[in-house]
Amino acid sequence: MSTTRTILICSGKGGVGKTTTTANLGIALARRGASTVVLDADFGLRNLDLLLGLENRIVYTAQEVLAETCRLEQALVKHKQEPNLALLPAGNPRMLEWLTPKDMQAIVALLEERFDYVLIDCPAGIEDGFKNAAAAAREAVVVTTPEVAAVRDADRVIGLLNTQGVSPVQLVLNRVRPKMMSTQEMLSVDDVTDILALPLLGLVFEDEQVIVSTNRGEPLTLGPANSPAAQAYTNIAGRLQGEDIPLMDPAKARQGLRAKMRRLMQTKIF
Amino acid sequence: MGLFLDIRSVKTLHLPDQRLQHWRDALPDLLNTCPVGRLDLHCGDWSLTCSDLRDLQRILEDSGRQIHRLEVTVAETVVSAAAIGLDGRLCEAGSSDEDKPSPPPGSLTVHQGTLRSGDHLQSDGSLLVVGDVNPGARISAAGDVLVWGRLRGVAHAGRDGATSTRIVSLHLRPLQLRIADVVARGPEDQPIAGMAEQARLVDGEIVIEPAQPQALARS
Repeated sequence: MSTTRTILICSGKGGVGKTTTTANLGIALARRGASTVVLDADFGLRNLDLLLGLENRIVYTAQEVLAETCRLEQALVKHKQEPNLALLPAGNPRMLEWLTPKDMQAIVALLEERFDYVLIDCPAGIEDGFKNAAAAAREAVVVTTPEVAAVRDADRVIGLLNTQGVSPVQLVLNRVRPKMMSTQEMLSVDDVTDILALPLLGLVFEDEQVIVSTNRGEPLTLGPANSPAAQAYTNIAGRLQGEDIPLMDPAKARQGLRAKMRRLMQTKIF
Repeated sequence: MGLFLDIRSVKTLHLPDQRLQHWRDALPDLLNTCPVGRLDLHCGDWSLTCSDLRDLQRILEDSGRQIHRLEVTVAETVVSAAAIGLDGRLCEAGSSDEDKPSPPPGSLTVHQGTLRSGDHLQSDGSLLVVGDVNPGARISAAGDVLVWGRLRGVAHAGRDGATSTRIVSLHLRPLQLRIADVVARGPEDQPIAGMAEQARLVDGEIVIEPAQPQALARS
């Protein structure tokens, strides 16, 4: 189906939150009613299944589907709480060599027949793993953090995506600490968008709840959107679907609860 | 060639048409007819993975040849090349760079678009980039380097030794500047917005000053 959106989630640098973003975005899109599949292309060090709490349910991978030892339905792992979301591991950690860009395109072509969104969790780096994952993607979301090294790597990846004709490429700025930004101890949002020159799809604030949810295998977007990161991922999903949701403002978030109370007093009481 | 290796004498090596012969089979014969030294590798429409390219690079290096640049007609090979640190250029199928004379010294090549980290743009004449040069990107030319945008990467003017060349940018905050053989770190403070600056050699050192329009017309 040509209306399927196949989105690569990549970063270049490791540890900036590709997999967390993929898991949360997958859940958020599924909860909004879109049938979504997350494809773990980082199968050498796969952990998308851990974040989704589906580790013990994986039987087959895309590798067996392509070898025709199983059907696609058998390899797809449906999420426990969110039936609109499925996970497909691209391969087995012991079989790193088998996948080629052609295989990846074949898998994604199969997935595009039955899903609205295909999210590809890309491995870190820009070598063969990245190229395989990028071969099948139509769009990309580049995840970066406000750090010089992450921004530099993201810039490199954006250049490579451009040569592969992936478009549009959008930006998610992850692990933003509003307090450090306001004291200029951290690169500001403008500093990052200035260099990368990409449309900003979302800002995700640093949130301890992410660690808790990762360890539990329950993405934040599964629960109520009361933590800042959960809200951010839900907003990103909305923007991906074309909704006009304003970006969070780090300067306002910093004031926190006290400012909220003050605003409440001014508007409601007086 | 004598004692000095002339880095400008770059030979070309064409991989065979992939419909006729695999490059691995053809390589020994090709190497017999190809001089030792730096070479431009024309890969045609071969789609090479990182490991293919590494093999190719190793075979060439074992026989005393270095890859100077790759010319390819498929994007995949350019991406592989970039991943392992080779300089790859995407050309249109059917048109080989050999047919076009290389730009003579003093000519101007215009590049439109941002150069991102890892990109390397070079020219035998002068270069004008309409866009930014990001940190981690490199731009080098035998003549002047002009950036209509922000220069935050590494720029090298007068690559072949011309000391009268200059680097001009609307926002001159490079990581590093090189003019001929002289190297300097970029300034750390923020430039005045809206004022173009230039770097040139004065008494063997690189100095940065407000750009002089007439200096550009001169070259």
